[in-house]
Amino acid sequence: MIILKKTVVYILLVLVAIIAIFPFLWMVSNSFSSEKNIFKMPPQLIPDKLFTKGMFDNYIKVLKDYDFMKYTLNSIFVATLASLGQVFTCSLAGFAFARMRFRGRNIIFGLLLATMMIPIQVTIIPEFLLMLNLGWLDTFAPLIIPSFLVGTFGTFMYKEFFENIPKDLEDAAAIDGAGPFMMFFRIFFPLSRTQTSTIFIIAYMNNWNDLLRPVLYISSQKKMTITMALTQFQSQYSARWNYLLTGAVLSILPLLIIYFALQRFVVEGLTHTGIKG
Amino acid sequence: MVASFIISFTEWDILTEPEWIGTTNYFELFEDPDFLYILSNTFVFSLVYVVGVMFFGLLLAVLVNSKIRGITFFRSAYFVPVVTSSVAVGLVWNWLLSPNYGLINSILERLLNINPPSWLGDKNIVLIVVAMVQVWKMAGYYMILFLAGLQEIPNMYYDAARIDGASKLQSFKKITLPLLTPTTFFVFTIAIINSFKSFEIIYTMTQGGPSNATNTLVYSIYLNGFLFYKTGYASAMAYVLLSIVAIITYINFILKKRWVKYQY
Repeated sequence: MIILKKTVVYILLVLVAIIAIFPFLWMVSNSFSSEKNIFKMPPQLIPDKLFTKGMFDNYIKVLKDYDFMKYTLNSIFVATLASLGQVFTCSLAGFAFARMRFRGRNIIFGLLLATMMIPIQVTIIPEFLLMLNLGWLDTFAPLIIPSFLVGTFGTFMYKEFFENIPKDLEDAAAIDGAGPFMMFFRIFFPLSRTQTSTIFIIAYMNNWNDLLRPVLYISSQKKMTITMALTQFQSQYSARWNYLLTGAVLSILPLLIIYFALQRFVVEGLTHTGIKG
Repeated sequence: MVASFIISFTEWDILTEPEWIGTTNYFELFEDPDFLYILSNTFVFSLVYVVGVMFFGLLLAVLVNSKIRGITFFRSAYFVPVVTSSVAVGLVWNWLLSPNYGLINSILERLLNINPPSWLGDKNIVLIVVAMVQVWKMAGYYMILFLAGLQEIPNMYYDAARIDGASKLQSFKKITLPLLTPTTFFVFTIAIINSFKSFEIIYTMTQGGPSNATNTLVYSIYLNGFLFYKTGYASAMAYVLLSIVAIITYINFILKKRWVKYQY
């Protein structure tokens, strides 16, 4: 009976996993197809170029001739800096909200949480005008700087964590003569490694996948992020599916590698706090 | 935000000086049949999305809440579509759903002998198709949120129910669902807000087409604000969007007392 029940659960689990993963496997498999093979009917499960000499033809073509190498580097640059910015600001803000007393603390925190509700499209027009006036159009700055300003989710998560650190630790540090900054950098921040990882990877994901800001702010070809480049690529070569799929694989591969390396921080981290901004 | 509010009262194309025109933008909006169409699209998309992610999210959460070997692998696998960019997801689904060489249509035609519709070309179904793709992409995220809620329910309730002879289904209905309501409330709020934010998937899959059938508020703000240079008009739309989200969230919070039950 128990074995039977377990089998049913496993079958269900595998079935759902197929639904979740299959489109990606299909995409990866067909990125090894030649153009002729991809339009064959019925669709071919095993691509024709797999394990042949020309296996990576599509990849070399897309990376070199269509500049995807450059776009990947752009994305890595932008996402890394922006995520560091998030970690930096959110940890400091979370510390302040959790451990410092100042007038209006709860009101400010409430306002901060309320901003989570506002769709980015509401504030994007003034933001665009601001970037225009700062002369930052077509630079990476508008993709990076907003991440340094505020992050509701990260602040919330750090605040929750810092609030639960025993007061004794703080007192001991204070007796040893540590000021708030010292306390933060020497005690609180190092303790929050799990939170930091979660926030870093989620910010990385959001920045890597963001489309609206790159589309609005970046106009020159060589500064595009990979997500944006993929959409351009799609509208230019709408029928070259073997290249498009290769491009799509390349655009998600770096992120998936990071995700699987750090997945326990993402899934477990989110399970424990439950919000994302 | 304040700036955006002020701009919504002007006629402005970014390049020249803005001109104060009062509430004209708002009146124009509600007289524009296209806008009403867009508004209704937004609500349909939202409805499909919210119902879809809540249903599948809870289903997945219950499924992965079991304590068996390898469960973390499945949790991570279900989360993969969430990690992937909407652009890549949109591209893959465009291809799977394409009329002539898409996998889905060829399965339907060859194996099941059904004449499939043109998923992304038929303006009666395209909006629902796009919304469903977004549900597929995001279900894993809501799974995590529900999972967090499920794990907070102490086992003693289930043990007590089992001793009293309750079936699995009974204890799900009488224990899990009521005790999960704070989570459900939170998830519901997040799902509504996110449903109104979906921009990327529309941008990649349909660009608002065919003939406006998938044009929603957020997509329209982008079109008007940054392609047609009707900044004031787009800001007015942004405010309509914000008001909708605010009103729905407010109603949601009022109704909260009626159905959300706390453990303590």
